[in-house]
Amino acid sequence: MIDIQGLTKIYDTGSIQVEALRSVDFHVEEGDFVAIIGASGSGKSTLMNILGCLDRPTRGRYVLDGVDVSSLSDPQLAVIRNQKIGFVFQSFNLLARVNAIKNVELPLIYGRVHKAERRQRAMEALERVGLADRIDHKPNELSGGQKQRVAIARALVTRPAIILADEPTGNLDSHSTEEIMQIFKRLNDEGVTLIIVTHEHEIADNAKRIVTFKDGAIVTDDRKKVINERYWPELAAYVTDYEAAGLSAEEASSDKCSEPVVPSGEVTQ
Amino acid sequence: MNFAESFKIALDAIWVNKMRSLLTMLGIIIGISSVIAVVALGSGSEAVIGQEFESFGVNRLFVTTSYSEEITSRDRLNHADVDAIERSFSEVIKAMTISVSGSGQIKGRQNQDPISVSLNGVNERYNGIEDIKLLHGRFLVESDVKAKRAAAVVDSGLATELFGRTDVVGERLTITSRTSMSYIIVGVYEAPMTAFSNIPGFEMPKTIHVPYTLLERLYGVGDRVNGIEINLVMDADQKTVVEDLKALLERRHDNIGQEKYMVFSAEEQLETVNRVLGLLTTVIGAIAAISLIVGGIGVMNIMLVSVTERTREIGIRKALGAKRKDILMQFLVEAVIVALIGGVIGTVLGIAFSYGIAWVIKIPPSTSLGTILLAWLFSAGVGVFFGIYPANKAAKLDPIEALRYE
Repeated sequence: MIDIQGLTKIYDTGSIQVEALRSVDFHVEEGDFVAIIGASGSGKSTLMNILGCLDRPTRGRYVLDGVDVSSLSDPQLAVIRNQKIGFVFQSFNLLARVNAIKNVELPLIYGRVHKAERRQRAMEALERVGLADRIDHKPNELSGGQKQRVAIARALVTRPAIILADEPTGNLDSHSTEEIMQIFKRLNDEGVTLIIVTHEHEIADNAKRIVTFKDGAIVTDDRKKVINERYWPELAAYVTDYEAAGLSAEEASSDKCSEPVVPSGEVTQ
Repeated sequence: MNFAESFKIALDAIWVNKMRSLLTMLGIIIGISSVIAVVALGSGSEAVIGQEFESFGVNRLFVTTSYSEEITSRDRLNHADVDAIERSFSEVIKAMTISVSGSGQIKGRQNQDPISVSLNGVNERYNGIEDIKLLHGRFLVESDVKAKRAAAVVDSGLATELFGRTDVVGERLTITSRTSMSYIIVGVYEAPMTAFSNIPGFEMPKTIHVPYTLLERLYGVGDRVNGIEINLVMDADQKTVVEDLKALLERRHDNIGQEKYMVFSAEEQLETVNRVLGLLTTVIGAIAAISLIVGGIGVMNIMLVSVTERTREIGIRKALGAKRKDILMQFLVEAVIVALIGGVIGTVLGIAFSYGIAWVIKIPPSTSLGTILLAWLFSAGVGVFFGIYPANKAAKLDPIEALRYE
């Protein structure tokens, strides 16, 4: 679905050049659920902008759903954004003046979908996020969680190749966060390819893959290792030592401990 | 995105900011309404003056000695000149009279202020020059002129003022001009409507037609003739007649090429009046049009504010697949709609204004569909011209920056 090779982004501010991404290789399969995690300034937002076709890489190749988008023009990128990408933002970014269903219809308007079909598809998308009874509400009449669900419906409505969520729970309370993550998980089970950018580990843990960014490069793409490091730093260090000695992590854990104790079976994948 | 969607979004944006949109339109409204009112009144007066000249007689000539050249007794027109003109131009002359003008006063009824009148000394053929609509009695006849009778044809308005009725044939009237003289009223004509007679302060004295021979004796002019009124037949070539007339008089007085005589033609005067009026309308219209430019700048200003306010919205739309031209279209359509609504309101107000003013000065305004369509087209043009910069600014926004905008 996504195939990125040697992706480099350099911001030229005149006096200094900032290398936001350093030759990143990154692949996402259809139906995957990837969390991109990293501190601010790690390059994850830059990657997100390029993945979302809002920005172009300085160097490297980006193939999205079989289309090489690294060299497309602005209007062509607009079409790609419209048809292949669904965005979910931290601050929802709904149009305040129009109601939920009109918000969901918006990408279809730019996709030149006919009015009747537009309405029907928007309705279906809102049903998928459980907001069929709120279609006439304007954003200021909805809770934060409901707003984000409208935004997810808007991202879904074009049946995009991929949904990109940038800190989707950053503005939500814990209850709404849980609700939104459940929706994401369910959509992923239904076959939707998802990439979530977050700095919260609890959010990232929901994903099938966790990719950690640091200084413009991927430092790890190993979910198990990330989780082990977080919950069992000593064990992780031990595993690392073991690996250095040429043994696998499984051997290490079975040798040293009877079972790695991790919360709620998250590691057993 | 198609045009209908842009249109809906634009109407929505205008409706959300009703008050602001109205204030933005104000400049356009003022500009369009003043242009419409000025043009309506301008072409209205042109039409009225045209009609007036028609009733005055477009083939009329007035021959007199030049105001600017020095006139000696040798150059003065005399009765023999009149006869010569009549002989030489009999084929093109429909009617002709010596014209002696004077003024006089009539005592008002019951100690009211005296009424000023102008005395128009003419012969019996004068009603073949000016279209005089008689209500009662008759016009002057040949015997009146020959006998120098104190006969008067009065204006119905004056009759009403003096006698309280219009049927006053046979009544006597004392007019003081040099000396007081009693006239017998032989006819009453309908007071002509003139373009300016209803504008307060522009009232003209009422005209009384009397035999010119009487005034010649009254003023003791002798053989001197001050002016000759001529009405040409319909198909006469005015310009040639005017030239020939001057040439004849110059030959007779042996002052060829000295421009001692002037011939006013109604046609020429109508052209002059229309030219002046047209120029006046254009100048006032142009001044009014400046407010349209000011209005356009107002539209641009508000559109720039609107673009800044909606930076985030633009970012969202771009992220969701709006192209530059979609955004450009959205804001351009909004600017054009604001300007166009202003133009339509301005047109309605302008027509209302022109009728309001017309009600005071009694000149019917004339607004053509062409003027209205032109005004609308012009306001839409103002919208495009002043909307393109803000719209382009919106279209060029970087989506990443726009989405980050607070």
